Amino acid sequence: MKTVIQRIVRRPLTIVGILLVAFHLTMALAAPLLAPYDPFILIGAPLEPPDATYWLGTDALGRDFLSRLLMGGRISIVAALAAGLIASLVGGLIGLAAAYYRGLFDDIVSRLVEMNLAIPAILFVTLFVTGFGQTLPVLILVISVIKMMGVIRTSRAQGIVLMEMGYVKAARLRGETAASVILRELLPNIADLLAVEFAMRTSSALLLVSALSFLGLGISPPTPDWGLMIHDGLQSIRSEPWLILAPALCVSTLVVGINFAVEGISDALGLEAARGAA
Amino acid sequence: MIGAILRRTGLSLLTLVLLAIYIFLATEVLPGDALDVSLSADEISQMPPAQLAKMKHELGLDRPAYERLGEFLLGAARLDFGRTVMTKARVVDIVAYPLRNSLLLAGTVIVIAFPLSLMLGVAAACRYRRPVDTLVSVGAIIGYSVPEFVTGTVLVMLFAVAWPLFPATITASTSDPALVLLAAAPLAVATIVIGSIAYLTRILRVGMVEALSTDFVERLRLTGIPEWRIVLLHALPAAVIPSLTAMALYAAAMVSGLVVVELVFAYPGLGQELVRAVTRREVHVVQVIALFSASVVVVLNLAADLMILALDPRTRRR
Repeated sequence: MKTVIQRIVRRPLTIVGILLVAFHLTMALAAPLLAPYDPFILIGAPLEPPDATYWLGTDALGRDFLSRLLMGGRISIVAALAAGLIASLVGGLIGLAAAYYRGLFDDIVSRLVEMNLAIPAILFVTLFVTGFGQTLPVLILVISVIKMMGVIRTSRAQGIVLMEMGYVKAARLRGETAASVILRELLPNIADLLAVEFAMRTSSALLLVSALSFLGLGISPPTPDWGLMIHDGLQSIRSEPWLILAPALCVSTLVVGINFAVEGISDALGLEAARGAA
Repeated sequence: MIGAILRRTGLSLLTLVLLAIYIFLATEVLPGDALDVSLSADEISQMPPAQLAKMKHELGLDRPAYERLGEFLLGAARLDFGRTVMTKARVVDIVAYPLRNSLLLAGTVIVIAFPLSLMLGVAAACRYRRPVDTLVSVGAIIGYSVPEFVTGTVLVMLFAVAWPLFPATITASTSDPALVLLAAAPLAVATIVIGSIAYLTRILRVGMVEALSTDFVERLRLTGIPEWRIVLLHALPAAVIPSLTAMALYAAAMVSGLVVVELVFAYPGLGQELVRAVTRREVHVVQVIALFSASVVVVLNLAADLMILALDPRTRRR
């Protein structure tokens, strides 16, 4: 463990990544305390330029832009974290179960995974969001199902390797139940893999959530959200470019930060995160 | 060898059929049909139930799902997807031009992105853990971390607003000749190219790093073969072959990117058509687009596997 931390600390990029993520998480948590105004309330004339009272000016409706920017990551981050968590936990367990049972169950799971990987994510979400409503639970559920497929593949592959290990064979010979082998022998051994998967899936979930908001299929107004804010900013792209650049910078630095951190940490753990980040 | 090819092709065909059923079911479970969306709630509540039922019957919306599934599968096999429920237009006609336009966009992106990624990936691997490699790797992470809609918007701000070289949105119409469309879409192409290069470079770099650290490359070095020959003639093929599967998988991610970019730039492709069809519940059109984009991914996966079979003798045993 000590060497892992040493290896993480040695790479400046990983530190940058961790700091970026920490910064955004702190901001998201502290946003209600930091925001100078209520992000939902009209406080001035529309599209006022930045000044001493409104540091980033006002948006097209006359709401304080800084307050909206501070609050704009919260829902996306929560949605992405929830989707990433569900995807890596449930996906990890399904993958291990497929590796444990093999046979018909494995065939069905593998076929379903292959099929879902063939359907472009955005198409999947568009279908379900228009069908079941544009609510947060629907978004989280659909995105976690999409992101789960890659996790199932990785954990199944790793599980198949582990099934050949002496201690797993011993546990099965001792007559331990399937649940016990999967949860107590296999799962702890792919914990680091799942942790990296969790971070990777969260970052790509974040990309998907903000793209959907931008397209008007994700988080709906008047909730402040970076993707939505960039979309709204297009109206005044010539006169108030900061209304686009500020949220664009926020969402980009957050995802870049996660991926810098993932790269460094998976490298330090000796995992190959480089392949199959789809 | 022939057995392996047949088995692999059969598996892809099976996946395609299952995908068709899956897409049908997915569009089937969606609440609301074409009639519910095209008529307002008021109109439906005022209409006598008998008349509503008659309309549903005429449109074929009241038939059991398995009957329509059978029809869908038979139609799909003949590339006949029927007509839209409300406007009675042939689905194939609706989808034809957007399909061509999207393929045009994707094709252009691949033609530009693939050679550039090869160069960057090889260059980074040859300078493993040195400044060039760090630069390429960091650039690649940033390239695929920044959302497409952000890249696209920033490109518009730079090259359409601040320095008006290109149009911000595409004014060409759906049925314009291919070259007219492409000439109008340089920023859209650039946006997807950036993301694609980032992704492909990453895959190729890992492959090359692995290939360059193998024993056979070390042996070639000891025999005094010039390094450029080792890299281009021996290591590169060994790196590209295992990367093919990951590249085929990238196709699915690229379709998602295409949809977003088409909407950002108002490019008249399948992405725009998809969102339009979904909001109007033109189920047939949605099914065709879904089936088509999924087929592309399945076919590319098959192509990748077959190429690996053809190029890598080790995979033929078994």
